[in-house]
Amino acid sequence: MLMQLTLGGLSQGMIYALVALSLTVVYRSTTVVNFGHGDFVMAGAFLSYVLVVLAGIAFLPAAALAMIAMFALGVLFNRGLIRPVKGGPHIGLALMCIAAGYLLRGIARMVWGREVLPMPPAFDMEPIFIGNLVITGDAVFIIGTVLVLLLVFFGLLALTDLGKMVQAVYQSPRGARLIGLNVERFDDFAWGVGAALGALGGILVAPVSLLHPDLGASFLIKGFAAMTLGGFGSLGGAVLGGVLLGIAEQYAGAYIDSALIEITAYLVIVLVLFIRPQGLFGRKAVVKV
Amino acid sequence: MSNMPTPRQQSLRTVLFWAVPAALLFLPLATNAYTQFIVNGMLISVLVTLGFSLVIGNLGQLAFANTAFFGIGAYASAILSAKLGIPWILTVPLAGAFGALGGFLASVAALRGIRSYYLAIITLAFGELMRWAYLHAKPLTGGTDGMPMPRETMFGISLSDDTLKFYIFLAVTVLLVKGTLNLMRSRFGRAVMAVRENEIATASLAIPTARVILATFAWSGLVVGCAGALFARHVGHVFPESFGMLQLIASFAMVLVGGLGSVLGAVLGAVLLTALPEYLRAFPGMEELFFGLIVAAVLVAMPRGLASLLRRLSPVFTERYYREGA
Repeated sequence: MLMQLTLGGLSQGMIYALVALSLTVVYRSTTVVNFGHGDFVMAGAFLSYVLVVLAGIAFLPAAALAMIAMFALGVLFNRGLIRPVKGGPHIGLALMCIAAGYLLRGIARMVWGREVLPMPPAFDMEPIFIGNLVITGDAVFIIGTVLVLLLVFFGLLALTDLGKMVQAVYQSPRGARLIGLNVERFDDFAWGVGAALGALGGILVAPVSLLHPDLGASFLIKGFAAMTLGGFGSLGGAVLGGVLLGIAEQYAGAYIDSALIEITAYLVIVLVLFIRPQGLFGRKAVVKV
Repeated sequence: MSNMPTPRQQSLRTVLFWAVPAALLFLPLATNAYTQFIVNGMLISVLVTLGFSLVIGNLGQLAFANTAFFGIGAYASAILSAKLGIPWILTVPLAGAFGALGGFLASVAALRGIRSYYLAIITLAFGELMRWAYLHAKPLTGGTDGMPMPRETMFGISLSDDTLKFYIFLAVTVLLVKGTLNLMRSRFGRAVMAVRENEIATASLAIPTARVILATFAWSGLVVGCAGALFARHVGHVFPESFGMLQLIASFAMVLVGGLGSVLGAVLGAVLLTALPEYLRAFPGMEELFFGLIVAAVLVAMPRGLASLLRRLSPVFTERYYREGA
C-alpha cells in the first residue's frame, strides 16, 4: 500500500517537478513569475492531442514537435508581449502573463468547447508486478522521461559553457551584460525552455488523464506549491518540492480523506509560507520592515 | 503639481459627482426589463472593480482573492437569508463583514512578512480553497446545484423587480464609492499608496505597513462582499462557477481599462466592460479571448487606463488624496 502510493505520488510528482522547474527557469532569469504557466501546460497537452489523434503522428515525435512549437511560442510571447511592458511596474508583467494564459485557454475552448478529450495511452506495456506493487507502463514512462530530462538539464547547466553563462545571467543580469553576454537572447531562451518544459508536463500527463481547457489552473497551483516548498527560485528545490508534493497528495488522499488530494497543494502553500517562508532551499522570502 | 484643479473646478467636481447618481434616478424610465438587468449588473461590477483596484492599484499588490470575496459575500447573503430567514437587505452589510473577514484571512500572512509574489500566490490559493469549499460544503452551499435566493418583498414590491433592485443597488454603490473615496483621501489612503511606492520608507515614518496591507484587503473584501450580496439577489441563484476564472480576468480587465488605482477608472471600466461580454457568452472561449486581448492591449498601449486620458482632458478628473479647503 505505502509503496504503491509512493510510486503513484512519484509519477504525479515528476509532472509537478517539471512544471515547477519550468516556472523557476523563467523566474530566475527574468524575475517574472508566469501566472499563465498553467495554460502553457494545457497548450502542450492539446498540441500533442492534435498531433497524435488528429494528425496521426506517433507519440514520441508528436511530443518532440509539440515541445518545439511551445519553445517558439515562449520566445514569441517574450518578444511580443513581455518586452513592451518590461520597463513598467512588476504587476504589469504578471498581468500580461495572466492575459496570455487566458488567450491560450480561450483558443482551446473555442476549438473544443465543453468537450473532454481522452488521449490514447502512449505507452502500452504490461504492468510489472513486484509483490503487491503494480508498476504501470505510464508510471515507468513518466518517471523515466523526467529523470533523463533532469539529468540532461542539470548536466548542461553545471558542465557546459552555455550552462555557466546561464548561471551568470541568473546571478546578475547586469553583471552578465557587462561581460558581453546578450541578456535579451538569454531571456528569449529562458521563456522558450520554460514553455517547452511546462508543455512537456502537459504532454506526459495527457495520456493518463482527460483533456479540457481548464486543466492548466491546477497545474499552476501545484507548480507554485512545489516551488514554495522547495524554496522559491531554487532549481533543485523546485524538483524536490514537486516530488514531495506528489507523494504528499497521495498519502493525504489515502490516509486522511480523498477530497484532500485537490487541496493538498493549497495547504502546502499556506503552511510553508507561515512556518518556513524560504522553503527547503530558498533564500529569504520575507521582508523585514 | 501643475494639474491641480482650481477652486471652481473643485466645486464643479463635487457637482459632477452627485449629478451622476441623481440623473441615474430617472434611468428606469428609459429602460426595459433586459437593459435594466444589465444596468444592475454594471452597478455590481463597479463595486467589484473598485475593491479589486484598491488592492492591485492603490496598494500595488497583485491579488487573486477578490473573486473569493465576491463569492463569500454572495454565499453569506444566500445562506443568511435562506437558512436563517434574515431579510436580504440586512444581509448586505453582513456579507460585507464576511467579505472583510475574507480579506483579512487572505492577507494575514502579510504580518509574517510575506509580500509581492508570495502574497499573490497565497491569495490565489485562498481563492481556490474557497471554490473548493463552495463545492464540498454541500449542506451549507448546495454544492454544484448552488443556492436559490428565497422570494421576498420589500415595501410591498417583490424583490425580483429589477427597478426596485436598481434603486437599492444604486444606493449601496454610491455609499461605498463615496466611502472609499473618503477613505483614500484620508491619512490611511495616503499610507496605502506610500506602501506601494516604498514600503521601507513608509515604515520609517512609523506607519505599521503590514497592518495597512491587511486593512486594505479587509476594506476591499467589504466592498466586494457587499457586491456579492447584491449579486445573489441580482441573479437570484448562487452558483459556484459564478466566482471562477472568468470573473477573475473580467475584473482584471475592468481595473486596467479604467486605470489602476483610480476610483473613477473603476467605475468607467466596470460600466464599459459589463455589457459587451453579454453578447459573447454564446460562443465558448470568446469571453476569455476578449478579456485576455483587452488586458494585453491596455498594458501595452494605455497602461494608465482611461482615467488618465480624462485627467489629461481636464484637472476636474484628478483624484485627490487630501482634504480640500484646509
